[in-house]
Order: sequence, then structure tokens, then C-alpha cells
Amino acid sequence: MTIDIVADLKSRAVERKRGNTFEWFSVGQELIHHWGRTLTEGDNTLFTTLTLHYNPLYTNADYALAHGHTGAVVCPLLLFATVFGLSVEDLSEAGGPFLGVDELTYLRPVIVGETVYARSTVTDTRETKSHPNFGIVTWHTTGFDETGEPVIKFNRANLVRKAQ
Amino acid sequence: MFHKPSHLTSPNNYFEDFEPGQVIRHARGKTVTEMDNVLLTNMVMNTAAAHFDEHLMKTFMKGIPGFDTRVVFGGINFSMVLGLAAQDTGEQVLEELGLDKIRLKTPVHHGDTLYAYTEVLDKSDTDRPDAGIVRFRHYGINQDEKLVFSGERTVLMKKRSGWAA
Repeated sequence: MTIDIVADLKSRAVERKRGNTFEWFSVGQELIHHWGRTLTEGDNTLFTTLTLHYNPLYTNADYALAHGHTGAVVCPLLLFATVFGLSVEDLSEAGGPFLGVDELTYLRPVIVGETVYARSTVTDTRETKSHPNFGIVTWHTTGFDETGEPVIKFNRANLVRKAQ
Repeated sequence: MFHKPSHLTSPNNYFEDFEPGQVIRHARGKTVTEMDNVLLTNMVMNTAAAHFDEHLMKTFMKGIPGFDTRVVFGGINFSMVLGLAAQDTGEQVLEELGLDKIRLKTPVHHGDTLYAYTEVLDKSDTDRPDAGIVRFRHYGINQDEKLVFSGERTVLMKKRSGWAA
């Protein structure tokens, strides 16, 4: 007798869902995002070169040292994308386009080899007539270094899917 | 350093070279490939499958124009546009200070090509004599001349008088 393994798995498996829908968010809610991330030389060189971000501070350690840094500087947009990336499962994975960012501040240059962590606070939730199946959620997100000092902060808005 | 920093970068993109109202069309465009999107999205641990699960988009999002295939992570779209503008507006930057009013207007898909334009908003001196603050508004446009992105950026930039005299 043969067992249909795929059909058997589908009948017994319970889905582990990821991401949060619009109704889950409330203003003032604070979220400590998962994982943290060490920004490596490989990350920085790959990101900087693939986005054509030609400032030698990010791709030439010798040049960065001559400007008073202790090593190559992490491309600020990689710092942003990483802090953003760490926040996605909690904030926006359930779907809905990323609308924009306001008041982003880089608090200091981050050097290759540093580790960043991300936290967010919900600052607004609202309905939108143009997208009845979604709401707009706004968060204030902060990226921290390993000592807990903030290195980047920004406000982000997304359309977030409502529970069906 | 073996070379002076000013010998490694362009001669025409210091603080003194920018005036409010100036508009620059940057030389290069870039076609955003599947490699760019999936590699960078996964590298920064963005877990949204809309950027890397084609089957999900073809089924779950079927019939929703623009979203029935993988979309490029918006953070990559505007990083790419700011990158395309970087040799002209970022090569002499000592420190990126911030971004504001970042708006993503049009979804980007694998194979779309982005071009960058920049408008100089204003510039100001700081307490250090060798650098000043410049504020730009950058724009990203796709191959169909649709506006993909606009946003403001503030930088601390070298003065030629302090670094390349």
C-alpha cells in the first residue's frame, strides 16, 4: 500500500502564520523586533555596489580611515534597509504596499562589523476609502547599536491588510 | 593614503558646485534585476514573501494588476535611485544626515529600469569651515517615464576650499 505523502501532510499540518493584520495594531503599542543583524563587510560592499552608491567611504577602508573612521562606513541606506528588514515580520509582512518614510535621521555613521537591533512604536492607524480591504498604519522605528544607543530613526507608513 | 582623497573622486561635486534650483539628470540608469531584488531583500532579512515568492503572487494576488508577480522591495527602489544620484551628489559627502518625505509612487518589477533626477533645494554653512549642509530632492523615473519615487535628502558635504584646494 502506498501513502500519498503530500496529501497526508496537508491533512495533518497546522499552518504557522507570520505577520499581523490591520486590526492587531493599536496606537502606542511597542514592538521589539527579532534577530538583530551584524553588518558585515560583504553586506556593505554588495549593497553599495549593486545600488551604485559611489562614495568611497563605503567601499574603501583606506579612504574611510583617512577621514577619521575606524573602518569602512556602512552605506546609510543599508543601515536603513536592515533596520526596516528586521521590522517587517511584525509590521508589514501580512501585505500591503510600503507607502513612504518621513523624518529619517541618521544619528551617527555606523562602521562595518557593528550589530544593529530594531524596535518600533505604532503611531497611527486609520481607514482609507480608496482601499477598503486595507488600513494605513504608521510606525516610529528606531535602530540601536549593541550598547543600546540609537543610530537611526524614522517614521514609516504602509497599507496593511485587514483580516478577511 | 597613497593618493589624496580629492584625486579619487570627481572635481565638480563639492558644496560650492550646488545652487538652489539646479536640476541634474544623472548619467546612468539601472535595470533592476531579480538578483538585485531577491539578493538584497533576503540579505537585509526583509521577510515579506511578496518580494521573493513568485508562486504566491501568481495565485494569492491573481488579477490585481501590478501585484500578480513579485514586486521589488521599496527600500531597494529608492536606494537604487539615491545610488544613481550618488556620484553627482554623494561622492563628497562626509555624513548622510537624513531623509524626509520619501514617497513610493509606482511598484517596480524585475526588468524595470530606473533613472534619477535631482533638484537642489538649499544649502547652508555649519560651524565647521571645511563642509556645509546641502538639501536635495531626488526623483526616480522608470522606463515608461512614470514617477516611481520622490524624496528629500540632507547631507554634510565637503567644501572644495577645505579638501581640494
